[in-house]
Amino acid sequence: MANPAMSRVTRVRRHLPTSPWLFAAPGLLITGVFVLYPFVSTLVNSLTDRRTLIPGHFVGLANFRELLHDDMFWTGLRNSSLYVVGVVPALVILPLLLALLVQKNIPGITFFRSAFYTPVVASIVVVGLIWVWLLDERGLVNSLLEAVGIGRVGFLSDQWLLLLSAMAVTVWKGLGYYMIIYLAALANVPRELHEAAAVDGAGPVRRFLTVTVPAVRSTMVLVAALSSVAAFKVFSEVYLMAGPSGGPAGEDTTLVMLVQRTGTGLTGRVGYASALSVVVFVVTVALMLLVLRTDRREES
Amino acid sequence: MHLTRRTFAAVAAAALLLPLSACGSGDDDGGSTDASGKVEGDITFQTWNLRANFKDYFEGVIAGFEKKYPGTHVKWIDQPAEGYADKLSADAAGGTLPDVVNVSPDLLAPLAKAGLALDLDKAAGKYKSEYLQGAWTGHQVPGMSGTYAFPWYLNTGPLFYNKSLFEKAGLNPDQPPKTYDELFADALRMAKQSGGKVATLANVPTVEDFGRYGVPLMNDQGTGFAFNDPKGVRLLTKYKELFDAKALDTQALTATPESSGKKFLTEAVAMNPGSALDLGNFKKNAPNLYKNIGITDQITSTGHVNMYVMGVMVNSRTEHTPAAVAFAHYVTDAENQMSFAKKVAIFPSTAGSLDDPYFTKEDGTDETRVRIAAAKSLKNAVNYTPVLFSEQMKTALRNEVARALQGKESPEAALDNAVKACDRLLQQQG
Amino acid sequence: MSVVEKVRPAPAPSVPGEARVTDEHGRRIRVWELVLRYALLLVVLALTVGPFLWQLSTSLKGPTEDIFSSPPSFLPSRPTLHNYERVADTIPVWDYALNSLKVATANVVTNCVGSALAGYALARLRYRGRRAATLAFILAMLVPVEGIVIAQFTTMRELGLNNTLIGVVLPGSIGAMNVLLMRNAFANLPYEIEEAAFVDGANTWQRFLRIALPSVKGTLAVVAIFAFMGAWDDFLWPLIVLSDPSRFTLTIGLNYLHGTFANDERLVAAGTVIAVAPLIALFACLQRYFFRGVGEGAVKG
Repeated sequence: MANPAMSRVTRVRRHLPTSPWLFAAPGLLITGVFVLYPFVSTLVNSLTDRRTLIPGHFVGLANFRELLHDDMFWTGLRNSSLYVVGVVPALVILPLLLALLVQKNIPGITFFRSAFYTPVVASIVVVGLIWVWLLDERGLVNSLLEAVGIGRVGFLSDQWLLLLSAMAVTVWKGLGYYMIIYLAALANVPRELHEAAAVDGAGPVRRFLTVTVPAVRSTMVLVAALSSVAAFKVFSEVYLMAGPSGGPAGEDTTLVMLVQRTGTGLTGRVGYASALSVVVFVVTVALMLLVLRTDRREES
Repeated sequence: MHLTRRTFAAVAAAALLLPLSACGSGDDDGGSTDASGKVEGDITFQTWNLRANFKDYFEGVIAGFEKKYPGTHVKWIDQPAEGYADKLSADAAGGTLPDVVNVSPDLLAPLAKAGLALDLDKAAGKYKSEYLQGAWTGHQVPGMSGTYAFPWYLNTGPLFYNKSLFEKAGLNPDQPPKTYDELFADALRMAKQSGGKVATLANVPTVEDFGRYGVPLMNDQGTGFAFNDPKGVRLLTKYKELFDAKALDTQALTATPESSGKKFLTEAVAMNPGSALDLGNFKKNAPNLYKNIGITDQITSTGHVNMYVMGVMVNSRTEHTPAAVAFAHYVTDAENQMSFAKKVAIFPSTAGSLDDPYFTKEDGTDETRVRIAAAKSLKNAVNYTPVLFSEQMKTALRNEVARALQGKESPEAALDNAVKACDRLLQQQG
Repeated sequence: MSVVEKVRPAPAPSVPGEARVTDEHGRRIRVWELVLRYALLLVVLALTVGPFLWQLSTSLKGPTEDIFSSPPSFLPSRPTLHNYERVADTIPVWDYALNSLKVATANVVTNCVGSALAGYALARLRYRGRRAATLAFILAMLVPVEGIVIAQFTTMRELGLNNTLIGVVLPGSIGAMNVLLMRNAFANLPYEIEEAAFVDGANTWQRFLRIALPSVKGTLAVVAIFAFMGAWDDFLWPLIVLSDPSRFTLTIGLNYLHGTFANDERLVAAGTVIAVAPLIALFACLQRYFFRGVGEGAVKG
């Protein structure tokens, strides 16, 4: 063992082949059995006309063809995509500004950091209940709006306001989460960069754009990737605020809501819902690759 | 993160080679339709959101049954309101359905079609005469012979209205609308007088509203839907008129039963269907409203009010058929239904029970008055919602109705589309 | 909220009357900037914590107080715990909370252990198939959960674990996201630390346990909080797996309130406070480690 000339790789190999797999085994087993295997059966089901209580037959790509003619599918695709467009920029920029705000160690800042994280801690069901109550026609927000003379707004009854309200809740709940990711990144930005810029006479805004943003650019890409995947798969916020049927005339239905609506219950169309799930999966993988690709291109 | 094509292919291949068991509903063993054996064994009884308020009642019923049939043991489980259909479908698909299950007709139909509900005409036909005829046949499934659940409790209720809002609108608070035409006229007037601030109705029409209006819901063979006939179109056109005049609440498109109840409570809506149960709620949460509450009968064009039906089915794969059937009957027999009815504002489905003095004798209180009126109307009430009308169909109808109200589609087109969508779902249900 | 930390005294003695506040580099912050910062902090505070406080306030209002008034009254005129009593009278809140606690604790333990092991294997150990293993976890993170619940249940029934708390814990017991978090934390540790141990003849297990693991305590705290939150907040899966009400977790149990008191905002508010308070308390206790974990670059990717 005391041979210093031995390369590191060889030394690591000494403990092979058993131990690395032993380390990874529990995680792989759980993930394989309870996530990947069910997902594979979803893939298989997407090619059948299976229903909840009736085993199906192989129907080839019929479910996917049906998707193309299903208005609800296009509504869902539109809303899920709009969600990405609406939520991602906010979640890339606002938490960064927030992180800059809580970065300096001024008195009481730990309290503020923790407090800003509270919405992340609360369950989405609770958050949904809270906001439904706040945005209710007679809830706090409308009471305030009326008190200042604007009048009551139907946040929870208009198709677009509903979608916007749900986006606002997603952003509200995500702020703290992405804030801490940025905090970690900001800690690694060398102080000297800022000083050099300050000496050059750059104001706070220019320093932000020329120093901070480039320094945390890879983190911004990561946040964009994470938040766009989550936004495309949005379910709970819209479900809780717009109701199970997806707002007026179902116009606020998102793709994952459609998966849930068509696939669950005793009369659920498991096959068709599985095809929808596959589409959701493919789009999220594509979104993630797209974001990461953009990053790489900019880098080179 | 680098995703190489090679590793992706490897994972995909490995995953596809995994055995694909667990598809299909599997075993048909266990359970017989013969209920004549000895009543014994351990059975499980599942109810739907009844534990919070009626724990003592159910424990009493179970103790009574276990005493009557020594050697039996009943385990009672209660599921919360939300997610009941998901819970049932997981259990049904996984083969873990309890022996005796509380179901509504729309949940019963798919279970019966999958062969999971015991045919009680065969296994318990002798009890048929104990129940109201309509309640018993209410648990039959179109396209199948047989009856698949014991009738349990029924519910119906009057229409509540806000007398002071009626008065403010210049309507006679003692002459609530009795027909649809009166209802629509009053609603338009209410909206006009209040400058669109007070609506009369809070909900978009559901399939049961079409039924009550006298629209035929399905064709005679029960193989397709028919609510797009001229009468259906007329009802929806009328609702559109109300919606435009704000006589149907502007938030109706996203309303839930809870939210519309709340609107009535806060006097933003002048009428709301309810049950005797709601009176207590009004008294406690809105004492001002309670003073002004008016009570009138459900409006129908058919002469039959709508009722909600609950049933108790027996799992066809139970290992203790005699005990499960005996218990399902015991819970729903006249005596136990009667004592349940006295605990809460529901109505027994057993023959003759509605003639009990409890449902016929006035004592001067509003609760009793509502109860007596409801019991009387139940004798020829109808459960309008077709047994085969699934959750997905409800959503399809609701969304098309909403499109018509928003003016994105004509009422005719909306109902045609809804019928088309529901027919397709019906075909797919198999 | 008890998350206020003692402010560290400023290192340098300062002239009385002058702002003594300094940033992390010991530089003084100008007064106007400080005022602006606190003003902004308070605005954000109102936005993030305000809704919770409003819920708390609603839950403390008695049945006679108008909760719909405009302008709204922020403080209950006569605060009462009556709504909480009613929740406790209706459902066995404490039993449900205990079940939730069991599930959440188990989930914390399995996730910390399992994802630390797997994360170490992905970051530090060399073997064929490492990439495939990493990819498996990444794909798992992208699978839409809503589509696979029934398949999960079928598997659980075949294992005979339906209607047990173990069944509730198992599918999420080693979350893919947590594994990747741990992988990144280990990957960010300088190699040199472990190098020394090699020379001393420590085997993989010893290096993992004695050297690598203590360096990523912060990330473990992050994983612990995520695991606790996930288990405590989950609704659909426990509902599907559990049949026996005596095993119900708090989120399912609170749902009994929905059908029973749907019209009563005060009660719903009390229920949500009960559901969220333990999490806030836990976070308040662990936040110090949590933010340190973030500092390790755990969530950086």
